[in-house]
Amino acid sequence: MKNRFKLEKGMFFEYLLATGLMLINIILASALPYFTKHKVYYDSTAYVVVILISYIIYLIRLFITKKKSVNDVAVVLFGFFILWETAYKSGWIHNDLLIPSPEGLFHVFVEKTPEILADVWGSVRLLFLGFLLAAVFGTLLGLLAGWIPRIREVLLPVSNVITLIPPLMFSAYLIMIFSTFRQAAVAVIFFAVFWPTFQGTVVRVGQIDRQIIEAAKTMGVGTVGMLTKVIFPYCLPGIIQSLSKSLRGAFMCLAGAEMLGINLGIGYFIEKYKSFADYRCVLAGIVTVGVITTVIDMIVNKAKNVLIKWEK
Amino acid sequence: MEAFQNGSKEKSAFKIEIKDVNFDYVDKKSKYEALKDINLDIREGEFICILGASGCGKSTLLSLLAGLNRVKSGEIFVDGKKLKGPGTDRAVVFQQYSLFPWLTVKGNVLFGIKQSGRKIGKKERERLAMEQIENVGLSGAVNRYPSQLSGGMQQRVAVARALALESDILLMDEPFGAIDPRLRLELQELVSRLCTENHKTVVFITHDIDEAILLADRIVVMEPGRIKSIIKVRFPHPRVREELSGTDEYEKLHRQLISAFYDQVEEQIDSEVAL
Repeated sequence: MKNRFKLEKGMFFEYLLATGLMLINIILASALPYFTKHKVYYDSTAYVVVILISYIIYLIRLFITKKKSVNDVAVVLFGFFILWETAYKSGWIHNDLLIPSPEGLFHVFVEKTPEILADVWGSVRLLFLGFLLAAVFGTLLGLLAGWIPRIREVLLPVSNVITLIPPLMFSAYLIMIFSTFRQAAVAVIFFAVFWPTFQGTVVRVGQIDRQIIEAAKTMGVGTVGMLTKVIFPYCLPGIIQSLSKSLRGAFMCLAGAEMLGINLGIGYFIEKYKSFADYRCVLAGIVTVGVITTVIDMIVNKAKNVLIKWEK
Repeated sequence: MEAFQNGSKEKSAFKIEIKDVNFDYVDKKSKYEALKDINLDIREGEFICILGASGCGKSTLLSLLAGLNRVKSGEIFVDGKKLKGPGTDRAVVFQQYSLFPWLTVKGNVLFGIKQSGRKIGKKERERLAMEQIENVGLSGAVNRYPSQLSGGMQQRVAVARALALESDILLMDEPFGAIDPRLRLELQELVSRLCTENHKTVVFITHDIDEAILLADRIVVMEPGRIKSIIKVRFPHPRVREELSGTDEYEKLHRQLISAFYDQVEEQIDSEVAL
């Protein structure tokens, strides 16, 4: 336990540097005066909180991974904040409309908390629904097609054509088919995830070690047992891996899907403030998307570690 | 064995009968005759080693016995019944990587027990699994995954899984070919002991002459596509390598096998050079 909080000699200096930069950040945020006139001045509390949260995450990462790169990331991040802050307050950056101050950017999260939360929730719900449906059906069909050549030979050429068409291009048509925009948005995400999942699963089934299949056959495993008890668990790590990739793709489509006309969701949030020319909010929306994808990615990774104990 | 041969006419005298079996590998352009008119009868409880260089069709023969491939012509009978496909009456141990990576050692062995179709409770299954794992000396690694085991330990698990099927027949396809020599001897003695104890009928594929002598009641020497000769090994079981090697009989047998084995290898090399 003692060694857990001990850092190597070389790392201690870097740790001091990162911490020092963080402190300078907070001092600048709360004490540095503005040297030029701006239209609006924002409260710096939200910004300081963001700096502190970043610092806490940095500490946790540092003591868990003990990697030097964690220090480097922190130095770059806090360094960037310092540059941004000084550039803004000293007046190097004039364009308030296009480039907000860090205080202004993070203050959006205070001003519009309920709106952002509702939009995030809306997005995640759409994403989850479309993604879950696509993951389940894509995997099922992929397993079947991977194992049974006749199904594969019909579906694989079809999927090869369809995956080349960006799912958003279906959107105009999907709106006509589905009764609500919500359903259409879910369908867009579904198509974005379904075909890649299907193809990935087919490929993975094809890569199974022949010995595994033969061993199962000699133990009297039939077709259903082969799919559920052998091929599915064998492919599971690969399937989860590819799902975490297509999840990102799905998020991109989500932003597009939300522009189809649902007035809820983080993509809609960005789109709305873009048309108001409120780029401060647009940037805040982009930051939110970054945070959500990171969190989802972490959850998927965690799920992978819990579900798949046999690799590593 | 005599009693068996004098038994009723319906029941075959042999556990496994291979009659005029042919098998081809068909490519897009060419056809390769892997096995030509193979005939072999195997008694119950007999340990047969099939010895041959790579490419002689010995693994093909085993895959036919396992039911993974179908004969082109000829017939294979197991217990007097014509063989139709894979089944739990024949357990197979493959060369490597045949364990299920997503299951622990215990999980792999339990899989074999479940597939054997015996109607027994969960507790009984667990007990049987632990027994088989103990048999192969892996009690300390019950909850480990195959990726955490050495090649030798993995093959022990494969043997335990095969034994867990409780079939009369055990088919082994160069199971210790990829294991380093010191461990191989240990595994050979283990298999020899377990198969004698459980009265298994075994077909064991190998290209290792010493392995064949240590294990087999009869050694079937193969040359490409055909059985070249069948040599009886009369040492009593269980056999210990140190006690056997050095005796006159062992040396004689070894020489006999070497000449049978290498003649054919030389021929093969000549024909390859001629090509």
